[in-house]
Amino acid sequence: MGTNGKRGLDDQMKTVIAYKWARDGERAAVREDGSVDWRNAKMTAGEDDPAALSAAKAIAAATGGALVGLTIGDGDASWALARGVEQSVSVTDAPTLTDNAQTAAVLAAAVRAIGNVDVIVIGDSEQHPGVPVTLAGLLGWPAVVGIDSATARDGRLEIVRKVGDDHQVLSLATPAVLGVAALSAEESAPGMKELLAARKRPLTKMTLADLGITVADAVSNRGSHLPATKPVRVFDGDPTLAAEQLVGALRADGAL
Amino acid sequence: MSMDTWVLVTDARHVGAMLAAARGLGTPVTAAVVGSRALAELVAAAGPDTVVWVEQDAQIPVEAYAARLAAAVVLAAPRVLISSTAPAARVLLGAAAARRGSVVLPAVVDLAADGDHLVVQRSAVGGAVIETLETSSPVAIVFTGEDVEAPVGSPAAIETIPADLPASDLCLIRTEPAGGDSSGVRAAARVVSVGRGVKSKADLPLIEELAAALGAEIGCSMPVADDLGWISKDRYVGRSGQHIAPRLYVALGISGAPQHMEGIRDAKVVVAVNSDKDAPIFRTADFGIVGDLYEVVPALVAALGTT
Ligand SMILES: Cc1cc2nc3c(=O)[nH]c(=O)nc-3n(C[C@H](O)[C@H](O)[C@H](O)COP(=O)(O)OP(=O)(O)OC[C@H]3O[C@@H](n4cnc5c(N)ncnc54)[C@H](O)[C@@H]3O)c2cc1C
Ligand SMILES: Nc1ncnc2c1ncn2[C@@H]1O[C@H](COP(=O)(O)O)[C@@H](O)[C@H]1O
Repeated sequence: MGTNGKRGLDDQMKTVIAYKWARDGERAAVREDGSVDWRNAKMTAGEDDPAALSAAKAIAAATGGALVGLTIGDGDASWALARGVEQSVSVTDAPTLTDNAQTAAVLAAAVRAIGNVDVIVIGDSEQHPGVPVTLAGLLGWPAVVGIDSATARDGRLEIVRKVGDDHQVLSLATPAVLGVAALSAEESAPGMKELLAARKRPLTKMTLADLGITVADAVSNRGSHLPATKPVRVFDGDPTLAAEQLVGALRADGAL
Repeated sequence: MSMDTWVLVTDARHVGAMLAAARGLGTPVTAAVVGSRALAELVAAAGPDTVVWVEQDAQIPVEAYAARLAAAVVLAAPRVLISSTAPAARVLLGAAAARRGSVVLPAVVDLAADGDHLVVQRSAVGGAVIETLETSSPVAIVFTGEDVEAPVGSPAAIETIPADLPASDLCLIRTEPAGGDSSGVRAAARVVSVGRGVKSKADLPLIEELAAALGAEIGCSMPVADDLGWISKDRYVGRSGQHIAPRLYVALGISGAPQHMEGIRDAKVVVAVNSDKDAPIFRTADFGIVGDLYEVVPALVAALGTT
C-alpha cells in the first residue's frame, strides 16, 4: 500500500467504530414544568451509528485490517458484536456527560489504549455534534464529518459527502476521524442468531482508572424549562371557518 | 479571563445569528473566516470588531486548515468559540476547542455573561426543552439559535493569516452533481408538503390543487418519497433531503420529527395541519389547524379562491 512516508492502512492497523449507547430521547416524557422524565427511555445506539458501522466495515474490508467496536458508559457491546464486529471495547464507568469534550476525552484515551488505530469512524450525531470533531482535535488528527459513506483506496480514505447540490469525493490520509451522518433508519436489525453469536465474541472492559484519566463536567446544570415558543396560533373547530381564519391570518402576516 | 469571542465561519449561513449572540456578551468579537475573499468581506460587513481570514484553495477542503486556525485561536485565547452546525465549521471548532481546553456544548440557542460565568441555553431532548448550563471555563459552542439578519455597517478590517498547509493530507478528488434542485422545491417561495397523514397516492391531486391555489411547489416527508415512493425523492425535506427556506411552508399530515424539521429550520412561516393536537410539529409551527386534512385542504382551497 502506498504510504507517502506516512503511516498507511496496513494489516496491523485498526479501524475503530465508536458508537453511542444512551437513553433514547424520543421516549423521554417532558412534564408541564419543563423537567424531563427519562423512566421510559430505553438505552439505544445512536441513530447515525448503523451508517457509521457500514462505513467502518467498508474501510476494514478494503484494507484487510481489524475492526474494533468502542463504546463508553454502560454500553451494550453486543450492539457492534451482533453486527459483525469481531471484537469490542467498553469503558464501563464513564459517566453521562454534558460536555462533548469530556466524552471525546474518554474516547481518545480508549483509542490510545487500543493502540495502532488508523481510522476512527463515529456517528455524527445531531445530539452530540462536538464529539467527533473534538475527538480529532484531542488526538491531533484531521477529521471530516457529516459524511455519507467512506472506503479505503491506495492507502488513503475515500469519502463521499453532500455539499449543496453536489456530492464531493474527498481523499484523506490516515490517521483520521470520520463522522458519518445517517440518511435513514437502519434497514435490518440483527436477529436472534446474530445476537447469540455476539455473546461468544471477545469484549474488553476498561475503566477510567485503567485509562489513567478522570472526567467531569465543568458545567453545572441549572435545570430545564419549556422553550419559549412563539405562540402557535391554532385554528380549530369547523374546517371551513378555520381555513378562512388561517388564510386571513396569512394575508395579514404577508405570507400570501 | 477575557470574555473575547471568536466566531468560526466557513459559509455565510447563520453568520448574523452567531455574531448577534457574540455581541450580546458585550466584549470584543473576532470572526475567523476560512474561505474565499468574498466570504471574508461579507462577514466583515456583518458586525464583528475584527476579521481574521485564511484564504482557502478551491481544491482543498476547509477542514485541511483546522490545525492552522487552532494555532491562531490558542494565541488569542478567546473565552468563547462559536460555530454553526456546518460540518466544516465544526471541524475547525473541535480542533480549536481541543487545543484551547474548552468545554464543548451542542445545540446552544442563547448565551449570556453573568459576572465571570457564562450562562448557556441549550436545546435538549429533540428541542422539547431548553436546559440552562453555567460554566466558568472557556467554552466552544455549536450554535443553533434562531437566524437574524446581519446588520450592514462599515466593514471591519480583514487581517490575513497565512495558510501554510503542511501537505495535502486532505484533498478534493471530484465533484458530482447530486440530483440538484430539478424539482424546484429548494428555490420555491412557497412549499406545500405532505406526510404519512395522506392515506393513498390517489389523494395527491387534492394536495396539488392546494399547491396550485398557493402557487407552491410540492414537498413531502421522507417516508412518502422513500418508503411509499409516491413523490420523487428530490422533493423530500429534512436532514437527509432538501434544506429549504421558503417564505411559507405548509405541512399536511406531517408529525414534525426532528429529522424533518431540520430541513425547514430557515422557513419563515410554518403552517401545520394535523389531526393530532399533540403532534410535535405544533411546537414549531406559526399557525396550525387541528383537523382532518381531508376536510381542511378543500376548505383551504375554497378560502383561497373566495377571500
Ligand atoms: C437517520 C434518519 C434520517 C431521517 N431523515 C429524514 C428526513 O430528511 N426527512 C424526513 O421527513 N424524515 C426523515 N427521517 C424520518 C423521520 O424520523 C420520521 O419518521 C418522518 O419524518 C415521519 O414522517 P411523517 O411525519 O410523514 O409520518 P408520521 O410521523 O407517521 O406522521 C404522520 C402524521 O399525520 C397525522 N395525520 C394522520 N392522519 C391525518 C389526517 N387525516 N389529517 C391530518 N393529519 C393526519 C398524524 O397525526 C401524524 O402526526 C429520518 C429518520 C432517520 C432515522
Ligand atoms: N460516540 C458517542 N458520541 C456521543 N456521546 C457518546 C458516545 N458514546 C457514548 N456517549 C455518551 O452518551 C451519553 C449521551 O447521553 P444523552 O445525552 O442521554 O444522549 C453521554 O454521556 C456521552 O458521554
